[in-house]
Amino acid sequence: MKITRNLCRGLVIAIAVICSPPAATAEPIRVVLEFVPDIDNGRRSFEICARCHLPEAWGNDDGTYPQLAGQHVNVLMKQLLDIRSGRRDNPTMQPFVQQRTIGGYQNLADVVAYISTLPMNPAHARGPWPPDSPEYLEGKRLYSQHCAGCHGAMGEGNNELSYPRLQGQHYEYMARQARLARDRLRQVAPSMTSLIVSLSVDDFDQALNYVSYLPLPAGDLAPDADWRNPDFQ
Amino acid sequence: MKKSDNFSRRRFIQAGGAVLAGGAVGATPATATAAESGDSAQPAAPALHKLLRKAAIPAARGARAVVVGGGWSGLTMAKYLKRFNPGFDVILIDRQSAFVSFPVSNAWLADQVTLEFLSHSFFEAANNHGYLFMQATVLGFDRETRRVYTERGYVEYDYLVLAPGIEYDYSRIGVDDTVAQNLLFHRYPGGFVTSSELLTIKQKIHRFNGGTFVLTVPNGDYRCSAAPYERACMVAAVFKRRRIRAKVLLLDMNSEITIKKAGFTRAFEQLYGDFIQYLPSSEISSVDIEGRNIATEFDEYPFDDAIIYPPVRASSLLEEAGIDNPLDPQKAANTDPFRYHLVDDERVYVTGDSRAQPFSKGGHTAHSEAQYVAEVIAAHARGFEVRWRSPQTMCFSAVDIEPLRAMSIITYYKFDKHSGLFAFDRTHLMDKWDTQGGQASLAWAEGMYRDMFYL
Repeated sequence: MKITRNLCRGLVIAIAVICSPPAATAEPIRVVLEFVPDIDNGRRSFEICARCHLPEAWGNDDGTYPQLAGQHVNVLMKQLLDIRSGRRDNPTMQPFVQQRTIGGYQNLADVVAYISTLPMNPAHARGPWPPDSPEYLEGKRLYSQHCAGCHGAMGEGNNELSYPRLQGQHYEYMARQARLARDRLRQVAPSMTSLIVSLSVDDFDQALNYVSYLPLPAGDLAPDADWRNPDFQ
Repeated sequence: MKKSDNFSRRRFIQAGGAVLAGGAVGATPATATAAESGDSAQPAAPALHKLLRKAAIPAARGARAVVVGGGWSGLTMAKYLKRFNPGFDVILIDRQSAFVSFPVSNAWLADQVTLEFLSHSFFEAANNHGYLFMQATVLGFDRETRRVYTERGYVEYDYLVLAPGIEYDYSRIGVDDTVAQNLLFHRYPGGFVTSSELLTIKQKIHRFNGGTFVLTVPNGDYRCSAAPYERACMVAAVFKRRRIRAKVLLLDMNSEITIKKAGFTRAFEQLYGDFIQYLPSSEISSVDIEGRNIATEFDEYPFDDAIIYPPVRASSLLEEAGIDNPLDPQKAANTDPFRYHLVDDERVYVTGDSRAQPFSKGGHTAHSEAQYVAEVIAAHARGFEVRWRSPQTMCFSAVDIEPLRAMSIITYYKFDKHSGLFAFDRTHLMDKWDTQGGQASLAWAEGMYRDMFYL
């Protein structure tokens, strides 16, 4: 079966917020930079990521690594920049995304563009409550009420606004990130912070369980779970 | 109260004697047997009262978790225990005053990183992560009174995590006498347990005047499977740069290169054809320390200098405490394979390279495992369980210098219900060594140090 990749023709946007430390009272200055990605160069740069994330970027069902394949470029870019600057606490990944290791903004744009074209894991890990269980149905209600507004009815996210695509993400990964955010060990957007305050851990688990069962467009998936990235064979 | 004091005193003399005879936690070489230790404990008796008082540390605020061993497992454990359960009062105990990283130390032997890059402060780690560091040698512990004994007094625990690492087992290369073992350890250290070994090895290779330089690869489940081959490359790279007439004789007790075989074979041939001679299936049967000669069943190998890495075993702290699995030739503890606690004690956990599970021994495995086990213990204290997840083994190997070129492998494990054994799961090997791999290997190390010490 042939894999059609959604060739990313769009722009990748890197937003750098520059703060000079001494002038604590000054407003941060926002610089929006646009890059036209070079997918071939992205593939070469991705070698450094693949050492840990593996060539398919599919993540692990135990939630230690996320599925990156198929994620929106601007979401990937935001996470890379947050980890690079230390805004998102990830000490072991931090040195890998520095200029000296992976290169400048253009290289980051190239690598996220490459990742977004990878076919997704067709067998990502679902949550513990199968469809039509009471927890699943409660999760569906919670998701529609609190999450779908930003992340989309199908968990498709929003590239323009950098809202992560949730469909296809491993349940354990999402549940772990939600707990980290709750324990203030991961910074999230203010709208997410207020949601974490108003919903319980169980509410979150159930909503994320529902998301993990949302179907993915067939064209975004690899033919089977044994598919291996031919760029790395 | 009185009764338990007597009990611990008696137990202590038994356990402590062996340690005084042999060294410390993770003592090298393997400590003397219990029979010998009874005698040698006698001269130390006058000091014993000092050892039986409470250590001078702040009273516990919250359940106390004591972590024994400040290696990659213990450092990660201490940090994440505090992180996953801020109510824990965490104490990390190590006999050394500072940390020197063994991963990446081969690149340091060839001057590709500084000693500063490898060296980090336990105080820094403790201060940054909200736990207490205690520099002391653990002599033994009493599971009934839940006390860990050190030369600075005892510490009480609610949870005890033992991550004491490995010891050399010289008896498996035909050196049985403990005095000879110590001599061999000092003259030709293997470079996998204490930082003085590393400093000695660097002196050796930078001062070598030519001739035969022997390196050995142990068999069994030894620490850092790729490291002896990587080290052969780094030693050869230094000899090549120094333009000396020297042969690196790599005596492998295994029948072939145990990991990244194609990559190392290519490096031996393409980069070090004039320097490295690789001899597989070299089962070492004896070492003549004074005569500088290594014997296998079939051959004799005279040498001018050597780095002798013998097979390893779990720290004798476990055996002395009677918690080892007698069926295990490497004397690992008898623990639950998924939850890491002793089979009969959910308060005592064993992690890192002295674990019972057959995961590849090394820093990254210990680091990823400790994050999971810290979560297990934090959950235990709150009365729930977390799902088992596999440790991962990420392993970089440098093969060339100026510029540094390296290759990598990452592997996961799965539990095969059919055989009841752990097996390798997904593995990704990048054995085309290049400068990107070299860069990545340093980024990896830096990330690990950041996690264990700073952020």
